[in-house]
Amino acid sequence: MKKPSHLLGLGFMLPALIVVVLFFLLPVFMTAGIAFTNMSTDTGITGGAYELTPNTIHNLRTQGVDNNLLAQLETDVYRIDEPGLAALATDMGDKLAKELGDTHGGVTFQSRRELERAIKKLKNKPRSTRKLKKAAAFFKRSILNQRFETESEFVSATRNLGLDLAPEHQEVLSKASYTGWTWTTENFSLMTKLPSTLRIAGNTVIYVFFTLTFNVSFGLFLAITTFYLPGKAAATFRTIWFLPRILPPVIYVLMWKWLTWDTGFISTFFGQFGVPAKNWMLDTNFHAWVVIILINGFVGASMGMILFSSAIRAIPAPMLYASEVDGATRWQQVRYIILPQLRWPILFITSYQTLSLLTSFEYIFLATDGGPGKATEVWALSAFHQALANYGGNLQYGYGAALALVLVIIGIIASVGYLRVFNFKELVARPRIEQ
Amino acid sequence: MTRSLPKLRIAAAAAAVALSLGAGSAAAKDVNIKVWAGGTNEADSYRMENIEIAAEILERELALQGKDIDIKVEGKRDFGKWKEFKQAVQLAAESGDAPNIVVTSHLDIAPWSKAGLIVPVEDYVDMDAWPINSIYPNLMEIASYNGVTFGLPQDAESRPFFFWKDTLKKIGYSDAQIEALPEKVENKEYKLTDVLADAKKAVDMGLVEKGYGFYPRPSNGPDYAQFYQSFGGKMLDKDTGKLILDKKSMTEFYQFFIDAVEAGVTRKNHLGTDWGQWYSEVATGKAALWHGGTWHYARYTAKEGLDDFFGKVQFSLIPAGDEDGRPNTITQPLVYLVTKQNSEEDMEIAAELVKIASSPRLNTLHAIKSAHLGISPEQGNIALYANDRWASEATERLLVHANAQPNHTAFGQFNQIMFKGLETAWTGTKSAEDAVAEVEEEMKAALGNMLIVR
Repeated sequence: MKKPSHLLGLGFMLPALIVVVLFFLLPVFMTAGIAFTNMSTDTGITGGAYELTPNTIHNLRTQGVDNNLLAQLETDVYRIDEPGLAALATDMGDKLAKELGDTHGGVTFQSRRELERAIKKLKNKPRSTRKLKKAAAFFKRSILNQRFETESEFVSATRNLGLDLAPEHQEVLSKASYTGWTWTTENFSLMTKLPSTLRIAGNTVIYVFFTLTFNVSFGLFLAITTFYLPGKAAATFRTIWFLPRILPPVIYVLMWKWLTWDTGFISTFFGQFGVPAKNWMLDTNFHAWVVIILINGFVGASMGMILFSSAIRAIPAPMLYASEVDGATRWQQVRYIILPQLRWPILFITSYQTLSLLTSFEYIFLATDGGPGKATEVWALSAFHQALANYGGNLQYGYGAALALVLVIIGIIASVGYLRVFNFKELVARPRIEQ
Repeated sequence: MTRSLPKLRIAAAAAAVALSLGAGSAAAKDVNIKVWAGGTNEADSYRMENIEIAAEILERELALQGKDIDIKVEGKRDFGKWKEFKQAVQLAAESGDAPNIVVTSHLDIAPWSKAGLIVPVEDYVDMDAWPINSIYPNLMEIASYNGVTFGLPQDAESRPFFFWKDTLKKIGYSDAQIEALPEKVENKEYKLTDVLADAKKAVDMGLVEKGYGFYPRPSNGPDYAQFYQSFGGKMLDKDTGKLILDKKSMTEFYQFFIDAVEAGVTRKNHLGTDWGQWYSEVATGKAALWHGGTWHYARYTAKEGLDDFFGKVQFSLIPAGDEDGRPNTITQPLVYLVTKQNSEEDMEIAAELVKIASSPRLNTLHAIKSAHLGISPEQGNIALYANDRWASEATERLLVHANAQPNHTAFGQFNQIMFKGLETAWTGTKSAEDAVAEVEEEMKAALGNMLIVR
């Protein structure tokens, strides 16, 4: 009899479970996986092929592979030999093969273009570009710049060249020619080597600490001041301070730009008093930080304001009346009645905002994009730049994921830490009165 | 009669079926070609329209060979910025739904060819056939990687140095001296030190505001590599295929911008200036000297309302920085690339379309509409191109000297680290030496054995 009710519970939870799996667990596992690869645009996502390029050969030189061998591999050669002529004859007729054999038999061409030129001069030349290319392909006697989808194809093509290739060299060759991604821990060692890692970590600490401080204190300030205002005025002010949160980020940041640019409001206003115009957002690192913290701070403060406001209303009014009868000042009310009762909301907002600030970068991206220099490049923004917005277009998925994974780990540790510090069990314990 | 009626009916039905079948087999074969163009505005619409025109020509050519093929071209250019376009292409290709032709920066050739997203155009077209054999050889080289020609140049451009003539006159230049400037730059008689000196004069005399003496591009772009080259920097070692960090050139290049800020001719927080503001300022003479792109001509003269461009603006190569360096300009042509598809025929048709679209007449339509430069010297024989003063003068003065950034899988990282280093020096966060030291450390770690440090 118990079963159906269990199923019902599960049914209710199912949508939430699906969302958690799809939008939390899956991305985290994928990030964790990709973080241990060298995946980038040039390796592709779905897999690689085998291709020996001049660059690969340069790299093999430094790995002690026989120079003679590499020199042979390095040349793109087209040779008019018997097997080639036979294949050509079967595919395109004896006439062409015979004419080519007669005129160029035994000749080696250094590029396809040279061979094509020779073929085009023949009387029996192929009458379409496709056939011309096909004819030339029968004589290719090198694997340079040729793409093989599988390792076995690549190995057999290498063998067909008739080179004296030791198995260990073949293995080195295959490995170096592989174009796809491989498993590696290099992303993490690279992270420790790059000087910018320390910098973005420092920037993240600055960003989270100051924005959080601003968020919470300004949110509290708004909640308390609007609490003492008459109902309608309070609602109006709260709505105004809620605007940053409900505005689309692009528009919100654009308004900040209008405010701070050389030709913006602040410059124009101070221009009246002879202050030279400057970019108040990007003038110095300090300016950039102040603007970034304010932009994010106002968005975060609105949430604190709403939460704190409702928490203050939950304080039994008689306590405040009683304190007024006792002659308490407003400040004393705040200090001894309101703030102590806001302990849980404040802790909640602090922990929630820390975690969300750690991973948020959209307002910085829109405002300074990490500039000037790398002054406001935070960890999450750096991961975004590496993985999705690299100027040259060769996106570093692996390294970006490794950076993101670090954030995930820090986030999990911080969550566990907060749960312990706030004594979460006590928070969700059954009220004693019901026991 | 009544008996034969059903027979007739059957015969008629059979005939109808046969006819419709026959009609079916004779119907044209449909080939859909999707063209995606990055960084493309209305002015650049010929990037896609030329493929449409090419499709019409190819259809007629094929018809004469007895092949009835109906080519439908579907163009798309609304991708937001470059990075959204590049993401879109990569993701579409990875999921097996790549457009047939992409118009993109030549810098994408290296990573995309390694990833197998694109195929060499030389596998499908005769490289000795016209119009390919008439394209500037330096542009063809830019469309190649590992010695293989992957794409065809779609347009050319170049990044000149600009002078506001009126300001030059006021700081003491005669008309003749202004006319001779491009040549002096080319002969290394006018160098970046002269740029600073002239810019300072213009600021000191109050002709332009402080910070507007020398007014560079406000964001990252190939333009900054030009200043590295001005001080003798090279980006690629052709023998080994590795990228080069020349510390001396890089330091001098950073120092030049630090000096410009200290002299008060360039703003410390210049990078990040809104492009709209920047265009309007340089097109109205608010800046004395600046550098930009040849395609800016269209913006200056149309949207920004600069009339008499040639009367008001002089242009030249980017001056040399010192004796080791050279006056130079970088071209970053966009290229037509053919993507990997399952059907060989589709790739062949795409390559053929790209070839036809590269003919001088079609390319001239694009060059003139978008104020880009041509891809072939033959365009000088086309009246539309030859009579366009900007196109012909810029081709002559700049394009013949232009080089490009190297096609290399790690060049994106190289460029990004170089620009971030410049930003830290420019904004005064670090000295030129310290910024280069950090750049060296970052490049060594990120590029590993793909880098040579000098």
